[in-house]
Amino acid sequence: MASAYYEFYRGSSIGMALTDSLDELITSGAITPQLAMKVLQQFDKSLADTMVKQVKTKTTLKGHLHTYRLCDDVWTFIVKNPSFKMESNEIVNAPRIKIIACKNGDAIEAGKK
Amino acid sequence: MSNKIVPGIYRAVIDDVIANIKPEFDEYGVAEDVLAELQHKWENKVIASHVAEFETPAPAQVSQHPPQHHLAYPPHPMHMMQHPHYAANPYALPQPGMSAVKAEPIDNRYMLGMPYALPPLPGPNLNGARPVPPHPGGQTGVISFPRPLQPQPPGARTTYVPPPVSQAQSQPAQQSQPAQRIPQVDGPSESSGDEDDSPPPSQGQAFAPRTSHPSLPQPRASTSTSAPPPHDSEAINSDLDDSDTEGEEEAEEGVAGETDIVFCTYDKVKKLSRPSSPCSSDLQVARVKNKWKCILKDGMIHVNGKDYLFAKCTGEFEW
Repeated sequence: MASAYYEFYRGSSIGMALTDSLDELITSGAITPQLAMKVLQQFDKSLADTMVKQVKTKTTLKGHLHTYRLCDDVWTFIVKNPSFKMESNEIVNAPRIKIIACKNGDAIEAGKK
Repeated sequence: MSNKIVPGIYRAVIDDVIANIKPEFDEYGVAEDVLAELQHKWENKVIASHVAEFETPAPAQVSQHPPQHHLAYPPHPMHMMQHPHYAANPYALPQPGMSAVKAEPIDNRYMLGMPYALPPLPGPNLNGARPVPPHPGGQTGVISFPRPLQPQPPGARTTYVPPPVSQAQSQPAQQSQPAQRIPQVDGPSESSGDEDDSPPPSQGQAFAPRTSHPSLPQPRASTSTSAPPPHDSEAINSDLDDSDTEGEEEAEEGVAGETDIVFCTYDKVKKLSRPSSPCSSDLQVARVKNKWKCILKDGMIHVNGKDYLFAKCTGEFEW
């Protein structure tokens, strides 16, 4: 179980799909915004837990660091010409990529000690 | 390849959310079919996003279970009843349990609970439901992941985009609307409040007018936005000052946001003894001169229109 749940994963593909769906249901009056928020909170949990439990993939990333910033424990990197090396040696390149990294839950707990 | 695991993970997330949110729907007095509709919409949008190959795993689920029943048992009213049960509560049962659990008593109980939907279903059952895709209701969602693909070509996705922008986000001027996958930067921060706003603020001045544009009271913005006469907004210098930096930020953030992004967490790393490493004692990201190294965890990569997941990612950059 992840010990901290972030909302920023809602910006991912699956998160946006959920947000859009909830918006449609709110618009049609099927659900209330309050219930939609509950769903999103559940999504935060489900996604984080599922990722921790089921995703084991390792990846390496290299590239030119164009921008970096750390604010309120959130790192943001903009990497130019990133090259992801996935497992099975698949390589994915792109012109640039933005990385948003929140502090890991374990790191938060460790910081408190 | 970590793109291959995406459908399974997303499937698990959707099922987990739907299963766990059901009590909330009950509590709010929302009908169960609304939950099914939510699931259906959600799945369709995920599929329509084409971030991974969603067809492959689902047909196995679709085609296997119904035939098994029919091969093992002759058509009998009791078996027809099973399917309404599955169809109405797809999220109530874990996938593996479906083939194993076929206790008739359970189905009887559910039967009593839901007297509807019996007449239309025997047809598809007897025919071995596979070749009959069109199930209009959202209830078949779990089993029929691939089906909506045909009625929802990629172009259809554009119709979904406007609602969230206009509703959840009331800053259309600053938002690059045409991009379908932008939402990363501004979406989460909008809904989540202060905590996740954090990445932008490091360029506080450039972003301040942006985030506060629509509603928040800010002296400068109020003069330009709330005051209708166009003369003021054109004449005021403060806006001009902002627009320079803001434009740069827009270009920088916009391009990155529209295309490729990674959501992840970073892990704690022990303090490095190198003098040039940044200040704090619990470093998560290490730097030596212009060499950066960071350990990222639990990430979702969206790059080149595809999603990839990783549990750990070692990043090495040159600044």
